[in-house]
Amino acid sequence: MRDAARDPAALELELLRAQRSRLADRMRPPWWYLTGVAIMWALVFSAPFGSRYLPRGVSPYPSILAAGLAVAWLLHWGQARATGIKTGFRNLSYRPGRPAGIAMLVVSLAANVTETSLIRRGLLAAAIVVAALAVVAQVAAQQALLRAIRQDLRAGGGAA
Amino acid sequence: MTARAKPDPLIHPITRLSICGLLAAGADWVEFAALRDAAGISDSVLSKQSRVLEDAGYVQVRKGAIGRRPRTWFRLTAQGRQAVQGHLAWLAQLEEAVSASTRDAQQARPLPGDRGQPRRVPPPLLGSS
Repeated sequence: MRDAARDPAALELELLRAQRSRLADRMRPPWWYLTGVAIMWALVFSAPFGSRYLPRGVSPYPSILAAGLAVAWLLHWGQARATGIKTGFRNLSYRPGRPAGIAMLVVSLAANVTETSLIRRGLLAAAIVVAALAVVAQVAAQQALLRAIRQDLRAGGGAA
Repeated sequence: MTARAKPDPLIHPITRLSICGLLAAGADWVEFAALRDAAGISDSVLSKQSRVLEDAGYVQVRKGAIGRRPRTWFRLTAQGRQAVQGHLAWLAQLEEAVSASTRDAQQARPLPGDRGQPRRVPPPLLGSS
């Protein structure tokens, strides 16, 4: 650490770093958040089962997509209310969270394709296992995204 | 950093710098209590200083309520963000300048064992003339 006692600029920047660190620490999600994320992704990964077992002509995708979005919005709102920090929905243009975002995209596509193929072959148990693993992977990716947001808050988000 | 390093008298006081610096950290909106706790200031100080920043157009304030509890949210405006980035860049430059001058002063001061000895001059870098 620099000789902050003699340098007011260093002292101010040091203080700001400590304050940002406190703000980032508040960004820890409440206990129900990751459970909610798991439920949301479980809904998404149940879509291939629905399309196989629902009557012909009934597509589960619109209703599952709407339910997933509703849960995502509720989680986002609840987290902002609990932590006092609104971060907005982060897409792939948010650089610190890009690896987690890409991982989520790849896992959801791969899991949906694999599930559909397994269900067509009648391997229902294997499809359920794939869905469960995909949910676990998505929760881990969400945790990584939150970690990246916290780290970005701590670093000042490019402000300094 | 793209902002030009420039001191801003409005955010020079430490409490306002704390508020703006925290709002510039990457969150879209920060709630009153979160900002107060992170900055380590009292409710009244935050209210007063945020009003000054709001009047200057640096901070946007949104008031609402959840049940009976009032909730106030803050975020930096584009103008505020530019001012904070410029001010922080200026502070960083100042810090760098002070530490460089401290380093120079320490190098210029002879060590106790070196008294009477000629100062060692570092060898020139390879390729430099």
